[in-house]
Amino acid sequence: MSKGFASNYRIVVLALGIFICFGGVGVRLVFLHVIDRDQLLRYVDKARRQIIPDKAKRGDIVDARGNVLATSRSLVVVGVDPQMLRKEDEAKWPELAALLDLPLKDLERIFITKTRPSKPDDIDNEDRDIRWAKLGENVTEETYDKITALKVKGVYGDRTYCRAYPHNQLAAHIIGYVNKEGTPAAGLEHAADFYLRGQDGWRESEKDGRQREMAQFRTREVPAANGFSLVLSLDSAVQHIVEVELEEIVKKFTPQKATIIVSDPQTGFVLALANYPTFNLNEFNKASLDSQRNIAICDQLEPGSTFKIVAASGALNEGLVSPQTRFDCSLERIEYKGKVRGLPRESHPFANPMLTVADIVSHSSNKGAAQLGMLLGDQRMYDYARKFGFGEKTGFPTGGEIDGELAVPSKWDGLTITRLPMGQSIAATPLQIHYAMGVVASRGRLMRPQIIREVRDARGERVYRFDGSSRGQVISESTAELMAYLLTRVASADGTAAAVAIPNYEVAGKTGTAQKIINGHYSSTHHVGSFVGFFPASQPRVVISVIVDDGHLTSGGMASGALVAGPSFKRIGEQLIPLLDIKPVSPIARPQLVMGGGRP
Amino acid sequence: MNESVLTNYLSIFKRNTHGRFDWITPVMMLCLCSIGVAFIYSAQYAGHVPFSIKDGVLRGIINLLKTFWFKQVFFIGTGAMLYLFISLIDYRVWLSLAHWFYLACLVPLVLVLFIGNEVYGASRWLDLGFFNFQPSETAKAAVLLIVASILARSQVGTIAQSLGVLGKLALAVGLPMLLILLQPDLKSAIVLPPMVFSMLYVSRLSTRFFAGALGAFLLVVGVVALDSYNYVRFMEAHDYSYIRDKGKYETQALFPLHDYQRNRILTFVAPDVIDPTRTKDAWNLTQSQISIGSGGLTGKGWTKGTQAQLGYLPSAVAHNDFIFSVIAEEEGFLGSLTVLSLFGVVMFNGVRIAGLARDRFGKLLAIGVTVLFAVHVFVNIAMTFGMVPITGIPLPFISYGGSFVLSCCLLQGLVQSVYRFRKDFS
Repeated sequence: MSKGFASNYRIVVLALGIFICFGGVGVRLVFLHVIDRDQLLRYVDKARRQIIPDKAKRGDIVDARGNVLATSRSLVVVGVDPQMLRKEDEAKWPELAALLDLPLKDLERIFITKTRPSKPDDIDNEDRDIRWAKLGENVTEETYDKITALKVKGVYGDRTYCRAYPHNQLAAHIIGYVNKEGTPAAGLEHAADFYLRGQDGWRESEKDGRQREMAQFRTREVPAANGFSLVLSLDSAVQHIVEVELEEIVKKFTPQKATIIVSDPQTGFVLALANYPTFNLNEFNKASLDSQRNIAICDQLEPGSTFKIVAASGALNEGLVSPQTRFDCSLERIEYKGKVRGLPRESHPFANPMLTVADIVSHSSNKGAAQLGMLLGDQRMYDYARKFGFGEKTGFPTGGEIDGELAVPSKWDGLTITRLPMGQSIAATPLQIHYAMGVVASRGRLMRPQIIREVRDARGERVYRFDGSSRGQVISESTAELMAYLLTRVASADGTAAAVAIPNYEVAGKTGTAQKIINGHYSSTHHVGSFVGFFPASQPRVVISVIVDDGHLTSGGMASGALVAGPSFKRIGEQLIPLLDIKPVSPIARPQLVMGGGRP
Repeated sequence: MNESVLTNYLSIFKRNTHGRFDWITPVMMLCLCSIGVAFIYSAQYAGHVPFSIKDGVLRGIINLLKTFWFKQVFFIGTGAMLYLFISLIDYRVWLSLAHWFYLACLVPLVLVLFIGNEVYGASRWLDLGFFNFQPSETAKAAVLLIVASILARSQVGTIAQSLGVLGKLALAVGLPMLLILLQPDLKSAIVLPPMVFSMLYVSRLSTRFFAGALGAFLLVVGVVALDSYNYVRFMEAHDYSYIRDKGKYETQALFPLHDYQRNRILTFVAPDVIDPTRTKDAWNLTQSQISIGSGGLTGKGWTKGTQAQLGYLPSAVAHNDFIFSVIAEEEGFLGSLTVLSLFGVVMFNGVRIAGLARDRFGKLLAIGVTVLFAVHVFVNIAMTFGMVPITGIPLPFISYGGSFVLSCCLLQGLVQSVYRFRKDFS
């Protein structure tokens, strides 16, 4: 062995080789550390930073008595990370399935499916690991506690809010709903979303390599501001009475549509509003769109005789007539503005055709109404119709309201002045008809239909209070009182709706039986029967409208307002007396009138 | 064994070394080990159980004993003693003991195949109760000694003259390599050929041999490249997933590689083909690159590296294979340059000692150890930023691992011995 056997030259070459390798590493390090640094740092930042939203709780909707009509329930959506399941937990699967109310087969299928196939637009064609599969959507906290107690690894839940409507279909068209995406889609949920939705909070924080949030790195945090609650003027007890009554009407008369509205004439606040057909708010996704329409505001119909109060009030208010002024209600035609106009036929004959204004109202004379209209003239007739709220939106808080149809006098044809006063040649929504009657009940003012009484914050403190608001004085107080008196005679023994009389209370109201237009002609078999009225007549507490569209009597007779709507008015009124504590009051001032004529 | 032999063996401690001791390498080793412990601590910092006697002293000590950094300190202490012991022995004694040591090291290599601890489908560890022993680590020393011993005794020159020696060497190196590959532990096997070739090179073997070896190497690389290309074509033609359909190609492949190994190769040459989202096979590499680069010039500070602390750099590898990324992230370019320089000093001191060695055996030992270290350092660091495929070769003195620390100390002990027992011309 000698030193000469090994080459020092080759050792140097080898050392050089090692040096080059190390140099290469060094150069690459310079690149990474110095040149690529910013780009890589950005990547780190992007991968770690995350914004976590903090859902605000949507406000409740409660009725005037504090009953919850819509609320947000805290629910747990339970899911599973199939990658984390352990073999030893398999024995607990049946119990878990029972808690989730899920067939064991389905649970097993979800648990065993660990990957999902790649989608065509994925960047690679790898199967994706399933890290979350939903097991149950509406799990209550109580059940969730039991599920967590099972300690099945990989099964966990997320808390969310879910909109719930404890009274199902009650006031469905008023309340509306929030759809499955969380978008408020109808009714007050949509219209008052500004109050209800609240403000979602968020926090900026970082996540670690396993996508878990690291609370210690939270940089900014904005807490969620929960939504405001709405206190409605709607009274669910009244609403319930109304909806039961609607069911009754449907059972008896099988109408196409029907609407009942109850409001407070002094403030204009709605106490109840219901339509048929209706739907269950908790199952809105199964309800037909037709049943979701609030026909009280988005459907129009010819008001018929209930509209006669406009011509009568107008003529009285203008001082053109007194209640005793008589009209010949047997005329076939009459000259108006230099032309001879045909008067409408009466639906029932009068023994003495010389009717006073009072009789025209209580007996619902078509020819009389036409003559009152002519007395007013085109423009004033039109103006009064507008002032009573026809032809424009009432401003009801929920959306979808229509204007109705009321042509300007310049567009009228020769017959309009004879037909408009009796409620033809005009289309109005049930709500417009209702509030027009409200004018008589609220001392001549047209009230704004409102339903939200108060807005409260999440702690229950009042944020805003809505007061009754008038849209204008339509007729004088004395005219209104006079009209109210004339309308009490409708429900009196010789009026068109004697059946609506409520013992010990004076009821004022007007029947309406409009022929439906079928294929361009007034039908003699399809009618809209209505009764719109209020009581007690001297100090009105409630205005009630019952409108039954295309009802049918089992007897086969005409489904007039007095028959299809009147009885419901009476029944509702009677139930409201104890509920709203409506006291009998002194009778309405009776002007010294000479009454005569009328029906035989 | 008669008495003279025994006295002969005992005299190995008594030879005159003129009190020589190379301080450079041990000081560098100490620095590297300290860095290692500090960053093993850092890599395990997030989520570790802090040392506390709140739950009782005993509990606290047990928790301390469980930490990786404390275990590493223990291994380093043991390694230091081993280093001193080996460096006190005249290396020339190994010339006659090399084959015995070699045979002794083959036994655990065979044993581990039958009674080894199986982790991730490979059985690489023997459970000794207090310590999981990795036989492939001692095998490195065994191969070094046997090759140095064979070469020191033989005349090497042209290929024709050296055929007998080369055959012996092939057998001596091939057997342990085969056993290691059977575990399977590719990374521990592939560090051996560079060491053996550099020892042959220094032994003045004809350059033609190396030209041939290089040619053969390039041929293998070519075949692997062709095989990888076919693999990609096969997988794409059948619309297979590289991850889900692992093993579909290897049943009909001509080249004996597993598909997971092909995936490793693809991760190196074409990470975007195999893992376009960089969340599967290329995750470690991508996160490691980000770690290093985001460290910048001076780093984010000890235990402050977000990649390592938050688990982007997986905590399973942060304290061993990818510890360099942790250092580079937390101490920046200065830190990684320091580590690289410390290793550089060790390497060049090794080369220097090889030059000073009194005989060919000593020279070969010093060169063999130095090249083995160079391969470890280079491959480990280069893989953290994708310059070489990820193989899981640890970083000497820094990566966590008991067997590895001990084998490193043993090998450097041999180099110290070569230094101490050289002829003094002064």
